[in-house]
Amino acid sequence: MTKNEDTTVKMYKMANRLKERAGLNLPKDSEGFLAPDSIEEADKLIAEVCATSAETIDKHLKTLGDLWENMRSSDPSTRQDTATKVFATAHEIKDIGAMCGYDLIAYFAESLRDYIERTELNLNAQVVIVQAHLDAMKVVHHRGVKKDAGPEAEELKAMVQKAIDKYQ
Amino acid sequence: MSLFEKKPQPYDLSNFTVLIVEDSLYMQSLMAQMLKAFGVGDILACESAKEAIDLLSVLQASKKSRYLTTVDIVLMDWLMPKGGSGEELLQWIRGHEKDPIRFLPVIVVSGYTTEYLTATARDLGANETLVKPISGNGLASRICNVIDHPRPFIKAPHYFGPDRRRQTVAYLGRERRIHPPEEVKVEKQP
Repeated sequence: MTKNEDTTVKMYKMANRLKERAGLNLPKDSEGFLAPDSIEEADKLIAEVCATSAETIDKHLKTLGDLWENMRSSDPSTRQDTATKVFATAHEIKDIGAMCGYDLIAYFAESLRDYIERTELNLNAQVVIVQAHLDAMKVVHHRGVKKDAGPEAEELKAMVQKAIDKYQ
Repeated sequence: MSLFEKKPQPYDLSNFTVLIVEDSLYMQSLMAQMLKAFGVGDILACESAKEAIDLLSVLQASKKSRYLTTVDIVLMDWLMPKGGSGEELLQWIRGHEKDPIRFLPVIVVSGYTTEYLTATARDLGANETLVKPISGNGLASRICNVIDHPRPFIKAPHYFGPDRRRQTVAYLGRERRIHPPEEVKVEKQP
């Protein structure tokens, strides 16, 4: 901190307008709540979304497959746009998978997302790592494996890790 | 509870306007439906930080118009690969010169489960963080926390946002504060 820099600390205490707008005239220190049936309804909405999540994941895996084909056939220097799309799709699969109990798919999608985030995909070998993730997710989805544990999960994780270690 | 005691009533959010900033239309639609279930009156949605900045700027500029609403809570995703991230939006909000924008309550929703996210979001001035997968209870508790416990805002040389100290536990370590608490100016905001 330089000598001339202002070191003043101010604290702003504001009237709680949100509590007023929530309409209960509750005392300042008391806590309110949302209607339990509205929370139940929100959870039902999540359950409804999850009921069709297998098809949604399937659609995203197809998109990932197309992106991977595109990546494989394109010049490494022009892959940035495709990499951004792979990142976004993997992120979406991770969100849906985690929310709807597809823990193992969510694990691989997160791993792929994080891999894309720290690499620029300018080496052909990196395409192999993306492929390893995609293959693992397809196998998991095809076999309907949900849990992120057990011999099958460990085997697939080891396969992807092997690809990462070999080509990174 | 006696017959004459009033049954506790839940919050009525029909006067609230919540802005969702989420690039995944799937998650955006789900969050909007959940808020609708909670009874939120107006729900606005943007797909990127840039879109949210434009919208908040327009609402701020036209706040005298009775046709336009003001945002009460911002619910933002952290990771948005296109059009600016949640981090950029939070920095823009807390760095804004107009009070209705810079004091906006912000709930960060993210699929990142690292401590780094929580620490960064807190240090940039987020009020609450919610890690995906979201649940009805998780979202409801963050909204209630924003309503029930609005922390005072702190303006320090390198920070502007809600007071990051949530507990009032006595500190036993070495005193490192530049200003003793009695020297800190407290201002009431209109």
